[in-house]
Amino acid sequence: MDGTGTPGPPLFEARGITKSFPGVRALDGADLTCHEGSVQAVVGENGAGKSTLMSIITGVQAADDGTLAWRGEPLRLAGPHDGLAAGIAAVYQELTILPHLSVTDNVLLGQEIARRGVLDRAAQRARVTEALRELGLGDLDPDTLAGRLSVAQRQLLEIARALVRDARLLILDEPSAVLAGEELERLFTVVRRLTGQGVSVVYISHRLDEIEEIADRVTVMRDGAVVSSGPIAAYDRARIVREMVGRDVDQTYGSPTATIGDVVLDVRGLPLPGTGPDGVSLTVRAGEIVGIAGLIGSGRSRILRALSGLEPVRGGHVRVGGKALRRGGLRSAIRAGMVLIPEERKTDGLVLDLPISANVTLPVLRRVSRLGVLSRTKERAVADRAAQRLRVRASGVGQRAGELSGGNQQKVVLAKWLETEPSVLLLDEPTRGIDVGGKAEIYALIRELSAAGLATVIVSSELPELLGLSDRVLVCRDGAVVAELARAEATEEVVMAHAFGQLDGRAS
Amino acid sequence: MTAGTAVRTAPSPLRRALSATGGNGAVVWAVCVLLAAALAVANPAVFLGQENLANLLSQTVVLALVAVGQLFVVLTGGIDLSVGSVATLTAVLTAGLINGYPIRVLPVLIGVVVVGAVVGAFHGLLVTRAKLVPFVVTLGTFYLIQGVAYAYSSTPVGAIPNDLAAFAILNIGPIPAIFVVVLVIAAVLTWVLTRTRFGRHVYATGGDPAIARSAGIDTARITVTCYVICSVLAALAGFVLASKATVGTPSAGSGLELSAITAVVLGGTSLFGGRGKLVGTAGGVLLLALVENAFTLMHVSSFYQDLVRGAVIVAAVAVFSRKD
Repeated sequence: MDGTGTPGPPLFEARGITKSFPGVRALDGADLTCHEGSVQAVVGENGAGKSTLMSIITGVQAADDGTLAWRGEPLRLAGPHDGLAAGIAAVYQELTILPHLSVTDNVLLGQEIARRGVLDRAAQRARVTEALRELGLGDLDPDTLAGRLSVAQRQLLEIARALVRDARLLILDEPSAVLAGEELERLFTVVRRLTGQGVSVVYISHRLDEIEEIADRVTVMRDGAVVSSGPIAAYDRARIVREMVGRDVDQTYGSPTATIGDVVLDVRGLPLPGTGPDGVSLTVRAGEIVGIAGLIGSGRSRILRALSGLEPVRGGHVRVGGKALRRGGLRSAIRAGMVLIPEERKTDGLVLDLPISANVTLPVLRRVSRLGVLSRTKERAVADRAAQRLRVRASGVGQRAGELSGGNQQKVVLAKWLETEPSVLLLDEPTRGIDVGGKAEIYALIRELSAAGLATVIVSSELPELLGLSDRVLVCRDGAVVAELARAEATEEVVMAHAFGQLDGRAS
Repeated sequence: MTAGTAVRTAPSPLRRALSATGGNGAVVWAVCVLLAAALAVANPAVFLGQENLANLLSQTVVLALVAVGQLFVVLTGGIDLSVGSVATLTAVLTAGLINGYPIRVLPVLIGVVVVGAVVGAFHGLLVTRAKLVPFVVTLGTFYLIQGVAYAYSSTPVGAIPNDLAAFAILNIGPIPAIFVVVLVIAAVLTWVLTRTRFGRHVYATGGDPAIARSAGIDTARITVTCYVICSVLAALAGFVLASKATVGTPSAGSGLELSAITAVVLGGTSLFGGRGKLVGTAGGVLLLALVENAFTLMHVSSFYQDLVRGAVIVAAVAVFSRKD
């Protein structure tokens, strides 16, 4: 409570919050205090525990240890219902809009205006229209199905949902991941009105310019713990970055050492939704790492899915190692030497109930079996070698994949696809949900693989990671590639400007 | 429109049009109109006769009750395979317990509703508290309740008082009185689904339980209520079955569960929950009744009947029930 900010009385306090998931300690004694009428920024890298802490504050998850207090009284949350009842509302990073319900139904979800259970449709409409107008969506028909809205509009619906609850504590989890420019400014105006009325706001972001603009106080998190907390005046950018990262950034991602070779992946005019008549074109050379940046929903992941054969595409030309790719879905892409490490590791990448050995050999069962009968010995040998090469930490290749930490799970997925001896590696959010230590190991592996001559394409929402790894960065917007930047010119500012379409005067 | 993994395949324009209209049951009603028109042209004297129309509508009554109940469960993302057995049990209980005494009609009707509510609450609690899979839970009770019905009586049992039996087959012109009763029930439940807080919560629960919970909705309570509605309606269907037959047969409701699911799917409801309208399910029920009626009018042999039923279901599933 030192420094310039004179915050109101504490509204909410979290003390010593601890939470573990299988293989990961997500929170390790985190504290957070929120004051009435003030904006508390929470900053930290992905995986620092911000979202987990928020899910505990809202009652979505229960803490393993620690206490919550509301106006000094102990607060117990058995579920999100209790959090909402106490006056805590959150706008989550992952969209929680139900596409088959109308705008009205989504905004008032769980908060319907009803008399004895019968909806008061006129009152509902008035309430929703009012909230939408404040967010600049005044001309949106409240009866529209939410599934027809853009990602940014859906995010605004989430904010409207929190607004109509008249919450005393409002949590905004990285709204700038999908909002920009005018939309973000409008959100800030709303935040200022709310704090003027004594509402406490938690603003999560890792974009420092926003935090400087809106926050009164800052809490920096790293590796599941709070590094420091104080009024914004006590911080400058350098301090925030230093505390957030806690190490030398360049060391984390390594620097390009691979020698760039011939073109391995050559894509010409791949027609994807939104690309226009020219389609998507890109080339990747041996030993090169190409990053694809863009907002959620900009089509960056779709490029990977289309290349890997997961999403059928008609037209365009894809050549791998000089040979035209026959379009037969996943199998022909794998046969051509192109593999996808999927975003959803636990559902699309691994069979969690099977041991590491079975997961690793899944794409190459022919090699470890004779006449259709599996050889346990061969399977084990292949898996042992792969696990060693990728430094998988496990009790042995007989351990169930589901028991491993996120980082080691990801290594198993990599090991599995490397068994097919690919020449092109497509990585979709390679470090999502992996703790900081695990991330560094994955980065090192990616570097090693590229040094060994693999052509790599990476999609990541984590811009520092993408920029740190890539030799070249493509920026996607509305399905099309709108910019191609060399490593030297790809700064966060430039990439975000392209992603939001601010460089061609088109705010999206 | 497409965040993350939303779109996997580019749907054909035809499929897009079908899925846009399929959700509200417009397609199934269009097919009903076409089939009815074809029957009217092929055999106007018989099909449009009062007797046949009354018969057609009367055939929808039992299935409508069961299918509408099934709709509530399917909307939450579940399924109830036990509805046929519940109807069978309440049919034998109705006839057996009333046993011809008019004074017992009302108490037995209430008892039947209670039986349905208990079965539904049991299902709901196993699904929400014990986190068991609805398919397995209700497959178990499908056998269990059928077994109880057999234990009560392995042969047709009991008797229905004349007044009740007469009401069950009473027609006002071409419209059966009991059809009007079911129509009122369907109208009330449509209103419940579209105009009440509970209805919204049903769609939200089925649409995404995690999202619904994070919005403060008690998804367990919603789910249990839907199972109760489903079983109570199935129990009422058994009451109607006994009343129409004037006796309780321990096979009265067999096969109803599959017909009910068929009607729900034909009506454009997603088996993954959160999407579907009662008017669509009603269209599905009418379509099944029309197909039966066509079989009768055209003297189709039972072998071909099953063939046509199967083809209709596969076609409907191909059109409506893809993952999206």
